[in-house]
Amino acid sequence: MIITLGHYLALSSVLFTIGAAGFLYRRNALVALMSIELMLNAVNLTLVAANRWLPAVQGDAGTVAPPAPAGHVFAFFVIAVAAAEAAVGLAIVLSFYRLRKTVRTDAADMLRG
Amino acid sequence: MNPSSTQEIIAFSLFAALAVASALATVTLRNPIRNAVGLFVHVLSLAGLYITLAAHFLVAVQLIVYVGAVVVLFVFVIMLLGPGSETAPDTTGRVPRVIGAAGIASVGIVLASTVRTLAPPRPDRVPEFGTLRHVGEYLFGPAMVPFEVASVLLTAGIVGAFAVAKAHHHKVKMNTETNLAPLKSDAVDESQGDHG
Repeated sequence: MIITLGHYLALSSVLFTIGAAGFLYRRNALVALMSIELMLNAVNLTLVAANRWLPAVQGDAGTVAPPAPAGHVFAFFVIAVAAAEAAVGLAIVLSFYRLRKTVRTDAADMLRG
Repeated sequence: MNPSSTQEIIAFSLFAALAVASALATVTLRNPIRNAVGLFVHVLSLAGLYITLAAHFLVAVQLIVYVGAVVVLFVFVIMLLGPGSETAPDTTGRVPRVIGAAGIASVGIVLASTVRTLAPPRPDRVPEFGTLRHVGEYLFGPAMVPFEVASVLLTAGIVGAFAVAKAHHHKVKMNTETNLAPLKSDAVDESQGDHG
């Protein structure tokens, strides 16, 4: 048996689907934010897995350099964005809870005319 | 193409099963603190998968940022809200829920079975691949500008989170409390006191 790129991509698509389903299904704003984190993590897994399957760079005189870690760096930026998003999202949830005494996403209807 | 070693297969299967199970726990359990624990196990198992992919730098980042900051932030907010962080179960009928779940599951199955067939040969790992030095040289070389933009984003995030959480909500409340009473379905917890 061989662990291929396909295994990682299939796992990551399953995780992304679970996150998307949680985001669509759950009415709890906290769980919706956690589902977003699940989806971002699933995307990170594809980036890191794809980077592992990049071929090494053959230099002159038989030297072998590792491939560019572009996937790792991209995943790093996704993690940075996810951290900022979680901080702002949770602040919004807190301030929303002060207004309505609930974290149900249905209750966020103050803009309705 | 060499067959993967037994250790590799065991590590991948273990962390993959753990990741799926904890992701399901994160989205399905009712108690938010259990969802947070599910997220905690999920990011830990993803760090394990990054080890199998030789992404050493990202393992450290994942552990510091996710386990150390994001999950802790979620737990803090859940503790601040107390029983209010739990919401009443959804009242949508059974049929729409089953149709929706079947639709989402079929999308997931089609997606997973399509990408599952991809099997390019895996190149041998160059020893320095994925190490702090290797990723750092790229981060402070070609990816320098996005790196600095990320720090601006994080600063804006801190300021934004502070501004939103410290908003003058007493003024807002005075203007809105007449027409924005708390929803009756979730407001019951306060009268009952401790909710567990």
